[in-house]
Amino acid sequence: MPRREHLLKIGVSGIRGVVGEFLTPSLACAFAQAFGAYVGPGRVVVGRDTRRSGPMLQHAVCCGLLAAGCEPVDVGVLPTPTIQIYTGHTRARGGIAITASHNPPEYNALKLFNGAGLFFNTYERSELLDLYHQSEFRQAVNAEIRRVRRDYETPAGLHFERVLRHINTEAVRARRFRVALDAVNGAGSLLSRRFLEQELQCRLHAIFVDPDLPFPRVAEPRPDTLGELAALVRSSGSEIGFAQDPDGDRLAVCDETGRVLDNDDVLALAVDAALRRLPGDVVVNLTTSSVTDDVARAHGRRVYRTPVGEANVVEMIQAVGAAIGGEGSNGGIILPAVHLCRDSYTGMAFLLDRMAETGLRISELAARLPRYFRRFGQARYEHGRLGALMQALEDQFPEAETDRSDGLKITLAEGWVHVRSSNTEPLLRIAAEARSEDGAERLFAQTMRLLES
Amino acid sequence: MKKLRISAAGLRGVVGCGLTAAHVLDFAAAFGTLIESGRPVLVGRDPRASGAMLREGVVAGLLACGHDVTDLGIASTPVIQHAIRRMEAAGGVSIGASHNSAEWNALKFFGPRGTYLSTAESAELLDIYHLRKFTFAPWDKVGTLRTESGAVDAYVDDLARVFDFPGLRGFRVVVDCCNGTSALILRRLADRFGLDFILINERMEGVSLAHEPATTPRIAGLQLAPLIRPLNADAGFLFDVDSDRLAICTEEGTPLSEEMALPMIADYQLPKSEGRIVITNLSTTALVEEVAARHGARVVRVAVGRQATIDALAAYRPDQVALAGEGTGAVMMPQFRFVYDGIASMFAILSMMRERGQTLSRIVAAYPRYSILKGELPLASQRMPALLMELQRRYRDGRANVADGLRVDWPDRWFHVRVSQTEPVVRVICEQRGEPPVALFESLLDQVRSLA
Repeated sequence: MPRREHLLKIGVSGIRGVVGEFLTPSLACAFAQAFGAYVGPGRVVVGRDTRRSGPMLQHAVCCGLLAAGCEPVDVGVLPTPTIQIYTGHTRARGGIAITASHNPPEYNALKLFNGAGLFFNTYERSELLDLYHQSEFRQAVNAEIRRVRRDYETPAGLHFERVLRHINTEAVRARRFRVALDAVNGAGSLLSRRFLEQELQCRLHAIFVDPDLPFPRVAEPRPDTLGELAALVRSSGSEIGFAQDPDGDRLAVCDETGRVLDNDDVLALAVDAALRRLPGDVVVNLTTSSVTDDVARAHGRRVYRTPVGEANVVEMIQAVGAAIGGEGSNGGIILPAVHLCRDSYTGMAFLLDRMAETGLRISELAARLPRYFRRFGQARYEHGRLGALMQALEDQFPEAETDRSDGLKITLAEGWVHVRSSNTEPLLRIAAEARSEDGAERLFAQTMRLLES
Repeated sequence: MKKLRISAAGLRGVVGCGLTAAHVLDFAAAFGTLIESGRPVLVGRDPRASGAMLREGVVAGLLACGHDVTDLGIASTPVIQHAIRRMEAAGGVSIGASHNSAEWNALKFFGPRGTYLSTAESAELLDIYHLRKFTFAPWDKVGTLRTESGAVDAYVDDLARVFDFPGLRGFRVVVDCCNGTSALILRRLADRFGLDFILINERMEGVSLAHEPATTPRIAGLQLAPLIRPLNADAGFLFDVDSDRLAICTEEGTPLSEEMALPMIADYQLPKSEGRIVITNLSTTALVEEVAARHGARVVRVAVGRQATIDALAAYRPDQVALAGEGTGAVMMPQFRFVYDGIASMFAILSMMRERGQTLSRIVAAYPRYSILKGELPLASQRMPALLMELQRRYRDGRANVADGLRVDWPDRWFHVRVSQTEPVVRVICEQRGEPPVALFESLLDQVRSLA
């Protein structure tokens, strides 16, 4: 198949597309009406990130929800985890976050949550999609149509309280940490300042915290996109720097020297901090670094691996009653005691907590982690060839342990390789990790040679 | 009865049973595609519960087309039209079903200066809607929404420039607001100018209106008329939900025929106006001609429906026209930029009482008596030409007008037979100076029946 750019995607994960000709208000309204018909008449929480198209889509979504007889609760601009926590806490029928997360600003999307504030599971998603395609929506008549309610006050406090009850807040406050923040002018712009300055008494140096301005950098917080944060950390003498994505679920961290930490190491630090305070095991996806296994082993806990995708991690956390989970590569930290969702605030709180408890710098904490070397790459996906490739790969490493639950993961004594097809693009994604730089390079090169042959 | 009607007049239907969110979004996007961008578009609504849903859809559709939107909140159609002109907006959308019952709702569209869309513009809007080829703005040009709460006050200020409110303080007036937007305006007016207004059904209601929102003598007789004498009031008025139409009761508690509003306001307006043309439709009372003749003016008769009146207005210089209106209690005056405005009509009647120093019943009694009979019968649309030809042949002695069905005039009586625009029925209207034209009316109905 030729490679195409997907400007509109309607699928089991909801609806996502480029605003304008592709993601139209009519589509958003119809999808919201299907959602309203699915969850039933009652309160549905609606919030958004700071994208320019957010208010337009929010009105379209509210139109569809009202038409289905639901009562939309407008919570305004909020991070996705805050919307999820509020949805679950207020026992609403469901929630909709209008955000394309880390996608570029021309995109927007609807993220859909059930009454517990969790992403819909596979079955719920396909039922909703069927309802949408059948276009058999419940149509409320005049007497059944509710009004849009507003609650801009409670959600943030609710979220902060959930996070802070798991750390030693007093110890963090007493340190008056000097913290740098880059909120990408996203949904965290106002909330993160409040969280760090007021709740945790940090001395804050913040950039990109104006929700009315466009995203100043690539929306995904990665080492190569966080130059300004690194510079701010150095110029302000901050002890740590935090960067969020536009909807505040992902977190990237910069140490006091201005070096952006590897997301896998951030997750490992959070896992270490969480396991010190909470009972239970750990769930990560197959592509997450082995550093988390080492950390869990030190606490005598087990690590469960799942296919890539937040929903998969969440489902496994529920199934095994884990203490913490996440996906290393994308900066997602999930602490079920707070809520079963990716949450940058949980990450910030636990890292500061750990710094306060140990008195160590963030760079020193990171340096204590076992060192791994990683290589990432991608290759063209050809459907008919995949099976043969996977088998050839397995044959190359006859002594390896293999896992076929999401593509193929091959684990050797010196490291591992994971090859999987992307859920969103016609691509194969390759990750390799080893204890030595040479080892990682060898595994990666050997795999790429095979895939490109 | 049909539950959805998409026409040159806009979108109208029973919410949930015909009119859906998808219609609203697409119509708003079509309007957003039709009008020029650069200036904001105003949106207001009546208090129906479904208005909340329609408003969200209209706002989303307009924002997506790159228009900034100013939401006036609960606002009557005349207030929205006034605000469009005052704020130099690109246009506006009125969400409300006016004289239809609570379960209905509708979208009405206005161009710059608050004017109704012309026939050509309405046709283009429908074409865009049917094609569903909307010009959505790119992501970084999507519009923004703001709210404006001063629209009613600015409108009241303008009314105060035209009418002598302090001079009307002596009148006690009972108003049946029918739980609609007139309550908002009249409460403000009464408070600001110390007017002795007693409002009933004042609470704006989303679901159950106190009664059917029709401005007919029958409805005015239900709750309004019985209150007038006990309250010792000088007049009573009844508005539909968005206060573009009115019905009138005298100080004796007698509801007037809906046909009386236009001739009375013409009688008041013509001496104050340079214009010597009164525009009305073919179904409206011949008393209009008699009143116009007294003031040396003439009547232009057009097809029934707002669009025909609007097109007729556009065919004259504004200063040539003294007023326009129809026998439903909907009247437009030039001081109010030719919009149907029930509240302005009410103040014209009160000003007339004050200037003449006469009670309402005395003013009414001075007009010659006309008796009008109205009826309707089902008839398949394809039988209509045969009916009209037969009637034209039979009533050859009168003066025929075929602009909308058939109207035949004799010196002291006339009839008008036409097909409804909304239902497969024939409407028969018959009027005579003096006694009701019962024989003519019955014979017309018989002829319709014979073809049915």
